Amino acid sequence: MASPHPVVGEIEVLVIGGGVVGSCLAGFLAEDGVGVALIDDGRIGGSNANAGSLHVQMQSRFMRLYPQNVPGMERQLPLYPKGVAAWQALEKKLDAHFDLKMTGGLMVAESLDQLEFLRVKAARERELGLEVEVLGRAELDRIAPYFGESVVGAELCADEGKLNPLLCNAAIRRWILARGVVLIEGEAAGPIRREGAGFVVETKRGPIRAGRVVLAAASGSKALAAGLGVAIPAEPEPLHMNITEPTSAMIGHLVQHADRMITLKQFGTGQIVIGGGWPAHLAGERRHPTVELASLIANATLAQHIVPRIAPLRIIRTWAGINTAVDGKGVLGPVGPVPGLFAAIPGDAGYTLGPLSARLVAEMMAGRAPGEDMAPFSPDRFG
Amino acid sequence: MSGTITITFEGEPVEAREGESLAAALTAHGIDAFRTTRCEAERGLFCGMGVCQDCLVEVDGKPNQRACMTRVDRPLSVRREAHARPLAPAMQGQPPATIGDVEVQMPEILVIGAGPGGLSAAIAARRAGAQVLVVDERSQPGGQYFKQLSVGAEAGPPPDRQHREGAALIEEARSLGVELRSGVTVWGAFEPNEFAATAAGRPLRLLPKAAIVATGAYERGWPVPGWTLPGVMTTGAAQTLWRTARRLPGRRVLIAGNGPLNLQLAAELIEGGAEVPAVVEAAPRPGLARLGALLAMARSSPRLIRDGLRYHAARRSGGAAMVHGMVVAGIEKTPAGLQVRLAPAAGTGAERRYEVDAVCLGYGFEPSNELLRALGCGHDFDPVRRQLVTRRDARGLTDMAGVYALGDCTGLGGARAALAEGTIVGLAAAAALGHAAPAGSRAASRRAGRDLARHRDFQKALWSLYAAPAYSSKLATADTLICRCEEVSFGQIEEALGEEMELIGAVKRRTRVGMGRCQGRYCAPVLDALLAERFGRPRDEFSGFAPRIPVKPVAIGDLAGPGAG
Ligand SMILES: Cc1cc2nc3c(=O)[nH]c(=O)nc-3n(C[C@H](O)[C@H](O)[C@H](O)COP(=O)(O)OP(=O)(O)OC[C@H]3O[C@@H](n4cnc5c(N)ncnc54)[C@H](O)[C@@H]3O)c2cc1C
Ligand code: FES
Repeated sequence: MASPHPVVGEIEVLVIGGGVVGSCLAGFLAEDGVGVALIDDGRIGGSNANAGSLHVQMQSRFMRLYPQNVPGMERQLPLYPKGVAAWQALEKKLDAHFDLKMTGGLMVAESLDQLEFLRVKAARERELGLEVEVLGRAELDRIAPYFGESVVGAELCADEGKLNPLLCNAAIRRWILARGVVLIEGEAAGPIRREGAGFVVETKRGPIRAGRVVLAAASGSKALAAGLGVAIPAEPEPLHMNITEPTSAMIGHLVQHADRMITLKQFGTGQIVIGGGWPAHLAGERRHPTVELASLIANATLAQHIVPRIAPLRIIRTWAGINTAVDGKGVLGPVGPVPGLFAAIPGDAGYTLGPLSARLVAEMMAGRAPGEDMAPFSPDRFG
Repeated sequence: MSGTITITFEGEPVEAREGESLAAALTAHGIDAFRTTRCEAERGLFCGMGVCQDCLVEVDGKPNQRACMTRVDRPLSVRREAHARPLAPAMQGQPPATIGDVEVQMPEILVIGAGPGGLSAAIAARRAGAQVLVVDERSQPGGQYFKQLSVGAEAGPPPDRQHREGAALIEEARSLGVELRSGVTVWGAFEPNEFAATAAGRPLRLLPKAAIVATGAYERGWPVPGWTLPGVMTTGAAQTLWRTARRLPGRRVLIAGNGPLNLQLAAELIEGGAEVPAVVEAAPRPGLARLGALLAMARSSPRLIRDGLRYHAARRSGGAAMVHGMVVAGIEKTPAGLQVRLAPAAGTGAERRYEVDAVCLGYGFEPSNELLRALGCGHDFDPVRRQLVTRRDARGLTDMAGVYALGDCTGLGGARAALAEGTIVGLAAAAALGHAAPAGSRAASRRAGRDLARHRDFQKALWSLYAAPAYSSKLATADTLICRCEEVSFGQIEEALGEEMELIGAVKRRTRVGMGRCQGRYCAPVLDALLAERFGRPRDEFSGFAPRIPVKPVAIGDLAGPGAG
């Protein structure tokens, strides 16, 4: 038998995947006094690539792309405001600066049809408990005087906002290091096999024995689960992002579109971040998330169409990251058929839901009631 | 193309020479601070070749324009660029574009970079019957070595032999029917063999059958206290001022670095009337033991040795001292200009100080391999030259089908080697596309092979002669900037490394090092070496920052510009 992993031969809980969910979960468990190791292979997952939008209203992109998921999205909707609150609580708890701003989100319409779509959507969201309203152009100009001529109105969701993932990830990392989480970075984990009441997880530097294992590896969780005979249909979705050079503060809101793929906002650095789900691809043997010219052109030129004054700004960097798509809902909690195995994969807009998802799973692992009906998010639903 | 044009800078008139760069015109009028940063530090001309992004100014209301790449061809109205200046309101954006709207050019062979290597490859491929398009970001072909005069003859001494040789090469390419496009910035490379560029404010897609990447090199950073001050620039930047615009970087100029280019600059600036107190070379004074290297060089390239002796003679007669074994350890701004502190390159010893108006730093080169890396071409780390070398076969073919590379962007070799390589690669690329070898091409290829071998020998001997210790972070203090763009200091990086951050990407996300406009060109090699030293991480093709598109910033409006027509 191979000699054990040099850093942690044995550990109570091994969390696989060091994105926002895995990191926060490791931190919460460590605060419960559990011995935790966190292993991450250093690929560009969603947490390192995402745009820092705090989404609350239903994203038109997902409604269009996956109409079959709309019921799941509606089921998950009440979690989003709680997800945002969890971020606020975490910022306070860590006494950190996340550049978190609750300036509200605007989903713009460029035609009366689109405005009507927003009206219907807003009515449904209000039924589900969100605070949203639809604004005409004149009202819009009062709060957001930067839109181009073609915009006729927008849905305003006051509970949306943004934060800077770079600041959040660094603060979370400091927190969990201080709490004694053992970090194993730049190393892939798997396959996993059961041994006695626990697990053996193979890594390049030797096996890790763990009492319990959490799959927080986003789309990477699918293969790890499959190795244990469990189906978790988490698929990688490489997405494209752009960032410009800085300009003075001008766009306060998180901006989206009723019918086109875009998210646009401004960081505290003054830089404008443009994304919205344009595709990238996984290139070469290393399956490195890689940008596509078509996405860059369409994404950036759509941005200047909606906010014309950004046209002279230069894009200084683009990148691609791997998002994870399941069925619109999170996969959170114990994996029934494999005692000791847990899943922690957030739903759409998973960065928003990161700390909350981690907390819910941490509660379940500690045997406490999470204060939320977790049945809809059970990993066992895929059968 | 002679004559003067009156431009304004912050409302004050400035007489510029028609055709020169905005940076040259401003420098000649004693203006060296072009912009202020987020921390309200002043910055000016540094690289002089469009990569550092420190020379940004506002031109006719358009923000963030590089003064070094902006040609004065009309009465420009120029303002200092301030950090994050507000944008002018606009109501009407252009309609959103898709990739289908973008103008496409499909040359048989695309050559990126119109330096000696690119031009020579274009000529060879064209002679073999291939249809060739050469694009280059600068306003004139010639690259770094064969830069042409851009101002009228009355501005200074007539073109020298190096100018004339370049002009002849450009003329040869043109007369053979090579299409030469200047002012085309290639900012993206995508698999397979797709390139994205902007030209005159419009996007352009280049889809060649084969591409020859000859994008050259840029000068290494030298992060010591004060290296970001206006008036501190690269040797190449100063040389561009003189060789294209007959302008001097200052009245009194200290030149420091490692390698023979610094000597040539000294000779040129002295010819132009500057006072050069010293040329400071990091390598120790060559003793008798190095005679062998000198002899080898004289055998392989007598002409370059003659040039070297000529530069030395000019330096001596201009009163510039030759200081060996010392490096620039810090620069401070004083009421009179800049005070430069020199320290021994190895170990301890007495320091020296100079008071000057400008400092030129020439501490070697880094290959401009961003496009090759973005395409996924393989590279290996060369521990001797401390840089990446592109993996390719004897004919310049990389490990990506249809992508060739040559010259300095593949690992430094100098202009002569690039010229010889160009012939071999140009012929090979044409042959691979089915063009029959033209008469005499075998002989030409053999001759180029011999030349290349000779120049490689020359380079090897040269670098043994100029062997000097690498940059050491001991030269940096806690507040010395490692990342010029994001103003990340050595102390901040140390702090991140103290948090057990071993992955360069993690340090980048934690500190913002390398997240700025220059895409980490200056900080990545320093940081990479630091991580290798600290954590014993091997340096390889994946150890720097992952390559990112755009390799040069691109304005959103330039992407939306109507393509066809
Ligand atoms: C470009 C982009 C923009 C986005 N924008 C937003 C936004 O604005 N707002 C929002 O709320 N959400 C956004 N998202 C979604 C959000 O980022 C993700 O849902 C969220 O980061 C998921 O967190 P995670 O911890 O589950 O997974 P990730 O952050 O993906 O982390 C998983 C980690 O596990 C590692 N891993 C995988 N397999 C293994 C293995 N076998 N061994 C070791 N390590 C492994 C991966 O390398 C990765 O580091 C965006 C996503 C992308 C890609
Ligand atoms: S000096 Fe102009 S970009 Fe470097």
